[in-house]
Amino acid sequence: MSAVLKPKNKVLVCDGNEAAAWGVVLSRPDMVAGYPITPQSSLVEYLAQFIADGVLDAEMVEAEGEHSVLSVLQGAALAGGRTYTASCGQGLAFMFEPYFRTPNLRLPIVMSIVTRDGISPQCVWGGQQDAMTVREVGWIQMFCETVQEVLDTTVMAYKIAENHSVMLPVNVNHDGNYLSNGIVRIELPDQDEVDQYLGDKDVNWHVALDPQRPMAVDPLTGGSAGTGPALFTRYRQGQCEGMQNSLGVIVEAHKEWAQRFGRSFAPLIEEYRLEDADYAIITIGSMAGAGKDVVDAARNRGERVGLIKIKTMRPFPIDAMAAALNKVRAVGVVDRSVCFGWNSGPVFQETLAAMYYARERIPCLSMIGGLAGADLTEVHFERAVRETAKLLAGPCPRQPIWLNAQD
Amino acid sequence: MSAINTIAFKPALCDGCGECMTACSTVKSVNGSAAQSRIQIIADPLKGSWELALCRQCGDPRCVADCPAAALSKEANGGLISWDAEKCVNCLLCTAGCVYAGIAFSADEGRVVKCDQCGGDPQCVKACPTQALTYLTSASIYNRWGDLEDLFVPGLGGCQGCNTEIVMRHTLRRVGSNTVLATPPGCIPGMGSVGYNGMAGTKVPVFHPLLTNTASMLTGIRRQFKRKGRNVTAMALAGDGGAGDVGFQSLSGAAERGEEILFVCVDNEGYMNTGAQRSGSTPYGAWTATTPLGTEAHGKVQDSKNMPLLMMWHRCAYVATASTAFMEDLYEKLEKALAASDHGFAYLHIYSPCTSGWRFPSGNNIEVARKAVETNFAILWEYQPDQGLRLSRPIDKPLPVVEYLKLLGKFKHLDAAQIQHIENHVAEQTKLFSELAGIGKGVERLAAAAPLSAGHERSSVSERLTR
Amino acid sequence: MERYDYLVVGASHAGLEAVRAIRAHDATGSIAMLNRDPVLPYSPTVLPYVVSGRSKEDRVALRDHPWFESLQTAYLERTQVSAVDAAKAVVRCADGKEIGYGKLLLATGAKPIIPPVSGLDGVPYHVLRTLDDALALRNAMGTAKHAVVLGAGLVGMHAAENLAKGKCQVTVVEMRDQVLPGYFDAEAAAMISAAFTGNGVEMLTKHRVTSVAKQGQQCVVKLENGEQRIADLLLVATGVTPEVDFLKGALDIERGIIVDEFMRTRVANVWAAGDVVQTRSFFGDGTPAGGILPDAVEQGRTAGMDMAGDPGVTPYPGGIPLNTYNFFGNRALSVGRDLPANAGTEWEVLRRNSAASASEPARYLKIVLRDNCLQGIFGVNVLFDPGIMWELILRRTNLSELRQQLLDHPQDTARAVMSGIWR
Repeated sequence: MSAVLKPKNKVLVCDGNEAAAWGVVLSRPDMVAGYPITPQSSLVEYLAQFIADGVLDAEMVEAEGEHSVLSVLQGAALAGGRTYTASCGQGLAFMFEPYFRTPNLRLPIVMSIVTRDGISPQCVWGGQQDAMTVREVGWIQMFCETVQEVLDTTVMAYKIAENHSVMLPVNVNHDGNYLSNGIVRIELPDQDEVDQYLGDKDVNWHVALDPQRPMAVDPLTGGSAGTGPALFTRYRQGQCEGMQNSLGVIVEAHKEWAQRFGRSFAPLIEEYRLEDADYAIITIGSMAGAGKDVVDAARNRGERVGLIKIKTMRPFPIDAMAAALNKVRAVGVVDRSVCFGWNSGPVFQETLAAMYYARERIPCLSMIGGLAGADLTEVHFERAVRETAKLLAGPCPRQPIWLNAQD
Repeated sequence: MSAINTIAFKPALCDGCGECMTACSTVKSVNGSAAQSRIQIIADPLKGSWELALCRQCGDPRCVADCPAAALSKEANGGLISWDAEKCVNCLLCTAGCVYAGIAFSADEGRVVKCDQCGGDPQCVKACPTQALTYLTSASIYNRWGDLEDLFVPGLGGCQGCNTEIVMRHTLRRVGSNTVLATPPGCIPGMGSVGYNGMAGTKVPVFHPLLTNTASMLTGIRRQFKRKGRNVTAMALAGDGGAGDVGFQSLSGAAERGEEILFVCVDNEGYMNTGAQRSGSTPYGAWTATTPLGTEAHGKVQDSKNMPLLMMWHRCAYVATASTAFMEDLYEKLEKALAASDHGFAYLHIYSPCTSGWRFPSGNNIEVARKAVETNFAILWEYQPDQGLRLSRPIDKPLPVVEYLKLLGKFKHLDAAQIQHIENHVAEQTKLFSELAGIGKGVERLAAAAPLSAGHERSSVSERLTR
Repeated sequence: MERYDYLVVGASHAGLEAVRAIRAHDATGSIAMLNRDPVLPYSPTVLPYVVSGRSKEDRVALRDHPWFESLQTAYLERTQVSAVDAAKAVVRCADGKEIGYGKLLLATGAKPIIPPVSGLDGVPYHVLRTLDDALALRNAMGTAKHAVVLGAGLVGMHAAENLAKGKCQVTVVEMRDQVLPGYFDAEAAAMISAAFTGNGVEMLTKHRVTSVAKQGQQCVVKLENGEQRIADLLLVATGVTPEVDFLKGALDIERGIIVDEFMRTRVANVWAAGDVVQTRSFFGDGTPAGGILPDAVEQGRTAGMDMAGDPGVTPYPGGIPLNTYNFFGNRALSVGRDLPANAGTEWEVLRRNSAASASEPARYLKIVLRDNCLQGIFGVNVLFDPGIMWELILRRTNLSELRQQLLDHPQDTARAVMSGIWR
């Protein structure tokens, strides 16, 4: 790995993994655990080096696998620690057992998913299949577009996760290869400002494993006797409430971030040039950059096209999406992963669901691209715009369009 | 009230030789007559069995309650019932209170006499050539730890005669309340140690980890508290399946990293909570629900893996095997394991016979545990990095393995070849441990064979650098 | 007002055992034991030995203050109960103080019976029930040359032996036809009596005192047959009667307080144990019961366990006579009952005896069986374990095949049987 930068000023040039690591440093976690996996590896290496150099004061656990990585952090969180890890792909799959349990325990762990496609065929490249596959487990999921957003969102994630009305884990997702390894100039927030932004740690006020506050964590529920099934149901209901509460908290966290640090990101859904649009393409993650360039070019040609970008995938911002859909007459959804059950991309599926709450049902096309590290260039988005425009006049195909199939 | 060590009598081993009475009267009586011995072995006139008359040092002694002269008292320390010659009025009412003939009038001495256990070194036991008499000092455990609070709730829902419950209660009460306890899925939380429906099962913070991540969650807990300057014991009470099969990765990882954890593996040789299925610790030949008997199958076809030995090769700060049939040994090891968990990984493997899953009467649990050890089926040992492996008991004169096998329903079906296989396996293990303990090979201890620590390597490298 | 969850009135064997049993089950309930005297608890049974000098009066305390502290029990000396008000659940003390209780145990023991002998209230005489009695008697013995003992029970016999050893001329007067009636059979009693006679004690069984009168520093004891004895020490030892005067109608009392098999009186939350109760016989017949130290302990334990709600409590089985008695270097032991007058064929008596020789004392053993179960065993200079014999009677152990062995070797045979039963 490269030598760690110790910026004297607030600007540095780095990739997304290092940006995420700086976000972690600024958030002052108690414990970091990790296990290497491409393309996440350098992120953990940065953190190890930060600790070795005294830049970060945290416990580092180099666990023997991702399953243990998250388990270690669950223990630390229950003991009152702020925690962080990162993983992706097969690592996330292996982690699934404790991953599944983390939100149910209401532990505000922050984890980056440096998104990667799933094998087989064998591949080590980017793609969002990992994060999308676990979207229904109960973690808050935010997808970043830029390296700067990776850093900023990592810090914001703690504020969201540890909000007492939320208390849920957060995935800060950035695209493998394109964000993890793409090097750009970013600005580093001031530590004191971040400290003020995050406030005091208060991680296990609600559930703890601490001899000073002895309690049984997860006594058996269920069965027909006592408070069994009702108790379990109340837990699940509360968890869903926390999830819904997070929508407002995410918005507030972004608003305060913009006020303190002067950088604003759309917290849930970004509407790009949508005001007078006839149709729009829908994107998620780093591909939005190329998509916006193509939209700009199309606008220059006089086409009334816009772009909708999803930042917060879980909880799904239904109202924001419905409001955006109300502004256009057709949408084309570009997914970087596959929803096998619907023969489409998962964001397409989510869009259809949100459309129920929109004013009217409009034509909607699924396009799948960027799998296994494939690039989604302006060429691909020009096609996406073209295919979406066709919906205004013609029929709406039921088959997805595979954007990289001929690359 | 303190407990008293016991002179135990096994009539089946007694041949009536009278050596005990000779030894007693030699040191105790005025004239050396065996009739004055404080222990009396008597032949039952009908059954021909050998019977015993001896003071039991009762907990609520009737002899003391019946004494009008305050000449008898139960000592607060040690629990002996002592006799005060100056106060005794020789009224013999004490003998009316005793149904064991533990205190009786001696015509030769003109007073009542009773056993005083020779100040903790009973001569009768020493003199017994058949081990019919043994001196059980396990009361010292009660005296030392009896006042400690049992940190589990009463009425855990274990099976009748559950050995694991014994392990749970004894270990946690010693480890104490400044503990976070992990009980991965299995019999231990199954009997209610975490709790039900919002009610807690212990007085310490307790949780179900996943079956797979016990050592990892404890890693995070221990390290977080340590970071905050608090020394909290991170303790696991885990079954063999969770520890050695599906959870072995996290266990191995934590041991390799030297996490400061007290990991107690309660080995009942299978998945007993879910109905007695096979695990990696299930021994060869054993019936389980997934190694059933049929025309084509006769129990498990593989030997068990030796989990504690695997843990030793992690060079843990402490590794030991223990049995509830040998509680003093168990407590000694628990003590060492607890101390070791302050600076490294401590692994305590306790054999825990299962009345339900192994198919034996619930009253036989301790006997089964004892026979496992006495036949070398389960070998008791401990390992410390600087001292190597040490056997806790001699293993050179084991009882025949069948003495153990015949106690258990899960081995009832074994044919001669299967028994031979188990005997061979036990013999092989016995030889292996003899060698590991440095017996018969001229090797002092295992220390020489243990891998060098990272510390060793570092110092030798730096030495070379400085030369 | 002071109030205790458990209030134990009386401080001897029954009360002490009750306190132990209560605390064994109830770790937190408050307990108090009341003693009317300003001393630690002692046993009336030890008093003859205080008289003889065998026991030092300052070393007879059955329990000490640390024992009470260890059981978190208040020990209140100089607290004499003068009345029980069960309706209010209080006891009233002689000084007017009231003490409330949750559960009350009356274990006030017994007091000497003073026989209706003409002139007795006009002469100085001794009894032996308290430590003060013992010290007074011990002082008097130092100078007495002639003594008369009324009653050949244990107290009288002990005193007679002590007096005889002090070179005093002693006469024992017993109304009934043998010494130690109710405890020993006639043959054993005769051997005991003979030993006294041999040591110069005049034994007058089947004799009745008609009057006593003062004569200078001495008194004259007139007998029914017209004879008289001069005594400068008169000891009245004609038995004891329950100490129940203070209860005055608060409880049902016959020969003692009436209790059930859990030592409950007929009044709610009031138990009684020891010499103060009317003890039922284990044999369910007229066999004398009560007044025996091990019985008092058993009753105290039963009462204490029942008061505390200990589920392990078992019904008190009824009293079994028992005596262990040393006299002039001999040992007499008795457990159980003798053959009744109207015994049927289910009864059997085994017997052996041997006369005294130069090196051997006289020996005697009698075993009484009914349906092959032990009913009683009486021995002089033959050793056996009374506790085991008692248990064999209680358990109604069938001894049919062991009759001869039991007679020949009572100690070893019973020990072997009992050891076999335990395991």
